[in-house]
Amino acid sequence: MGKPSLLKEVLKWFIGRPVTIQYPYEETPIENRFRGRHFADLNKCTGCSLCAIECPADAITMEKLPEEVSVPKNPRRIYPVISYGKCVYCYRCVTVCPFDAYITTNDYKITGPARLYSRDYSLQSVGGGAQ
Amino acid sequence: MAVDKVIEIPVSLEVPIGPQHPALHEPVMLKVYAEGEEVVKVEVNTGYNHRGIEKLVEKNSFYRNIFIVSRVCGICNIVHSNAYVRAVEQVMGIEPPGRAKYLRVLAMELERIHSHMIINAIMAEVLGYDTLFMYIMRDREKVMKAKEILTGNRVLGDYLMVGGVRRDLSEVDRERIKDVLIKLEPEVRKYIRVFEEDETIGKRLRGVGVVKPKDVTLHGLVGPTARGSGVNIDARREGYDAYGEVPFNIIVRSDMDSWSRMMVRWHETIESINMCKYVLENLPSDGPAVPDETKLPRKFPVGEAFTRVEAPRGELTYYVMSDGRQNPWRVKIRTPSFNNIINSGFSYIGYTIADVPVILTSYDPCISCMERAIVTDLRRGEKKYVRFKDLNRGLK
Ligand code: SF4
Ligand code: SF4
Repeated sequence: MGKPSLLKEVLKWFIGRPVTIQYPYEETPIENRFRGRHFADLNKCTGCSLCAIECPADAITMEKLPEEVSVPKNPRRIYPVISYGKCVYCYRCVTVCPFDAYITTNDYKITGPARLYSRDYSLQSVGGGAQ
Repeated sequence: MAVDKVIEIPVSLEVPIGPQHPALHEPVMLKVYAEGEEVVKVEVNTGYNHRGIEKLVEKNSFYRNIFIVSRVCGICNIVHSNAYVRAVEQVMGIEPPGRAKYLRVLAMELERIHSHMIINAIMAEVLGYDTLFMYIMRDREKVMKAKEILTGNRVLGDYLMVGGVRRDLSEVDRERIKDVLIKLEPEVRKYIRVFEEDETIGKRLRGVGVVKPKDVTLHGLVGPTARGSGVNIDARREGYDAYGEVPFNIIVRSDMDSWSRMMVRWHETIESINMCKYVLENLPSDGPAVPDETKLPRKFPVGEAFTRVEAPRGELTYYVMSDGRQNPWRVKIRTPSFNNIINSGFSYIGYTIADVPVILTSYDPCISCMERAIVTDLRRGEKKYVRFKDLNRGLK
């Protein structure tokens, strides 16, 4: 049995740049179509609740819209709020929505106590919510 | 009185290996009985990670279940959803277009590549060869990138839907995935050479954990474990999805030891790379690969279906039964590790305690996907499945 040629590889990487990414100081390269944070655009959502019914993780709850927010086509005045802690990012809600109401992003930085729900993102789409 | 006789009592030692990190991160316990260093008996204890998925699936609708069965196993999630989706398609009488079938094969083969690479990396780690572990994991990350390009996530693809796949592949992405595969192939060949030539690997793996072809059929072992012992079984031969059209070789080796099983996995990785290249070059455009999910039928006929796929660890089977309502009446999952691990106790006997992690790793265990709760009534010799809620209340 001869010796393997791994030694050459090891020496090569002594002088090469490390492969490890120093997250969070360095950004992880991520695809544009990566399934990241998503929320309902209230200009399009009609409050039909289909996404909440179809969500396999039960991450979506339908909530009442605040009084001051005006939405174009939502007679029942309810909108989906996603709990990002429960969501498994399968995007079933995105594909099942009959009005194509979901805005998708490739934002994967969802840890931390702030913004655990899609409430403010959705309300901002019609000019409400906390900034 | 002078001592003229010494009586030695043979002591057999019980060594629990696991359930925390027995060799790799899987909750399984091997109760090893040893005389000195030699293993004389092994009991495989499972049940540390039962999640009740089959019951959960009965409580959810057919479409929601596609995402639930994907969570049975983290590494081979696409094969699980593939087996389930094909079963539902059979019940509903839907046939996906050829393009979708090819894309499914691409996703499943990418999964096989990274699954085989991770177990080989873990094997290197178990042997104490951490440098090799790091290198293999570095190159595995390229495959994860290809999977991210194709499915939208590096691990959990959620790529399948009844009637097709959930996103199409653009020309640009096609070239990018091909580029990844072209760069990966020489690296894999390099690792094959290391596994073939390295003295340490040879000493720790060759001749360890010998499984004879007779044992394979006797204990119902499947996948690379069976193929490493010269038994030529592979569910892909059935030609489901596009496997009937994509050319590939079934890798069979006859060394029968742990090394043989690892080499089967390495050579299958090369096969899978070639299959992925073939799929990318011959992708048909015979119809929309992505079905409109808002228009899928909401009614499910009465019926049942049984499907099998070749998961990276062996043959995975699904049985789906519909009684015409929104939820399946029964979904039965039989994962390859269920056969390979629970029945493998015989193969440790005669080797040393230090060989136990090596042999366990060579079976590529995936414990989380095989946990079941079965209650055997010893008085009547009956077996029955129970719900966790009922277990809390106590058994009647
Ligand atoms: S399915 Fe679409 S329209 Fe209906 S509630 Fe959800 S986001 Fe709104
Ligand atoms: S991505 Fe999936 S889990 Fe998340 S809210 Fe949508 S349907 Fe639910």
